[in-house]
Amino acid sequence: MYFQPKNLDEALEIKAKLGADGTLLAGGTDLVVGIRKGRTQVSNFIDLSKVAELGELQEQDGFLRIGAATVHRRLESCAHKALADAAATVGGPQIRNLGTVGGQIGTASPAGDVSVALIALNAEVELLSAARGSRRLPLADIFTGPGKTSIADDELIRAVWVPHGRRSEFYKIGKRDAVAISVVMAAASIGPSNDVAIGIGCVAPTPLRCRRAEDHINSHGLDGATINDAAQIVREDVSPIDDHRAGAAYRREMAGTLTKRLLWRLLHSKGG
Amino acid sequence: MTRRQLDIFNRQDQAAIDKTAERVRKTEATWPLRFTVNGKPVEVAVDPEESLYDTLRERLRLTGTKGACLEGECGSCTVLLDGKPVTACLVMAPQVAGRKVTTIEGLAADDRLHAVQESFIAAGAVQCGYCTPGLIVSAAALLEENPQPTADQVREALEGNLCRCTGYTKIIDAVLDASSSGTEDKANAGVD
Repeated sequence: MYFQPKNLDEALEIKAKLGADGTLLAGGTDLVVGIRKGRTQVSNFIDLSKVAELGELQEQDGFLRIGAATVHRRLESCAHKALADAAATVGGPQIRNLGTVGGQIGTASPAGDVSVALIALNAEVELLSAARGSRRLPLADIFTGPGKTSIADDELIRAVWVPHGRRSEFYKIGKRDAVAISVVMAAASIGPSNDVAIGIGCVAPTPLRCRRAEDHINSHGLDGATINDAAQIVREDVSPIDDHRAGAAYRREMAGTLTKRLLWRLLHSKGG
Repeated sequence: MTRRQLDIFNRQDQAAIDKTAERVRKTEATWPLRFTVNGKPVEVAVDPEESLYDTLRERLRLTGTKGACLEGECGSCTVLLDGKPVTACLVMAPQVAGRKVTTIEGLAADDRLHAVQESFIAAGAVQCGYCTPGLIVSAAALLEENPQPTADQVREALEGNLCRCTGYTKIIDAVLDASSSGTEDKANAGVD
């Protein structure tokens, strides 16, 4: 069956009724490919393209609130550098005009560029259900495995909340500039009290938040020595795999290198 | 290409087209879809689980849109959705309800080709031609948004379109020629 709710309430009602048997369709850039390749079976589509509320982008309470159906293209010009840069590296222009932030989070790929940038920006995800209303939790906490999240069967992603006031950087290693899944990518940010956050992709079953490296810097300060330590901690904490795009050893090495590179950028831009 | 090679090529192409057409015809067209195609309002019954690519080619017979990878990697099936380039193979047909779709067939006005089409011909920016409709649609969208792109901006706008004959240089030249910056360059060159 194919459902096309006209608004958020209708979408929530259908999702509540169908539960796990209702597959949410946003940009389709992952889902439709999965279906065509036989990876994904869908018994019921819930097409969110007519739910206008999900496409809203607004400033609210010191956060940028990004509606779940906001396409990557719109984020390319956003004020958070890591997020803008990550959005601009997704697919090609055609994919960025279709693919959405909520879709990428829900897909829960360890290679989600935008998810990694959002994690490094301390973003929160707002989930919504007909029965329990909305709840907000740190984005990094919802990923439980490749393609798996802790989002309940009757919930949908309403929005992502990105706090203002953090400077951020993003770096992606891929086989080519466009339409290429990342080999390794990372993002980092620094807040008003010089607290650092680090996210890394393609090196673990989920987009990874490197808490141990963050804690080290946040208790010892950001300088050349702690940056080297952080890179080492990251190399210890990642668990990459070998695949046709790169070897695990390379990914591990690069996870540390990108951490170092991003933290140096944040350190340099601090003074000037 | 020899006559024999061409025959084989055409037979394979036709077989693929027939197979897709049969697959689409066999599905149940139960979903009434209303949208605008190339400026004209259209009402067509579709299978809600078919792609916009199938609707355009098999139901509306707009076969200018080409499909190669059918998984969003190659850009051959690029059309404009509300003016923005998208890969038609990844769009579910019901998602375009009430929206405007422009295909390669919609770029020419009456009997006049679009400037990008003219410049592709003039620059010889076509080899096998399969990627050409998608490239022209992407380029037309770029020039609509930015009438004077730099060569790098052209490359960026076309990064989602693959040409396996790899003739990118003339493609980029053609887009620059069609842009107003290309016109200016030519005018300046004329003065020199």
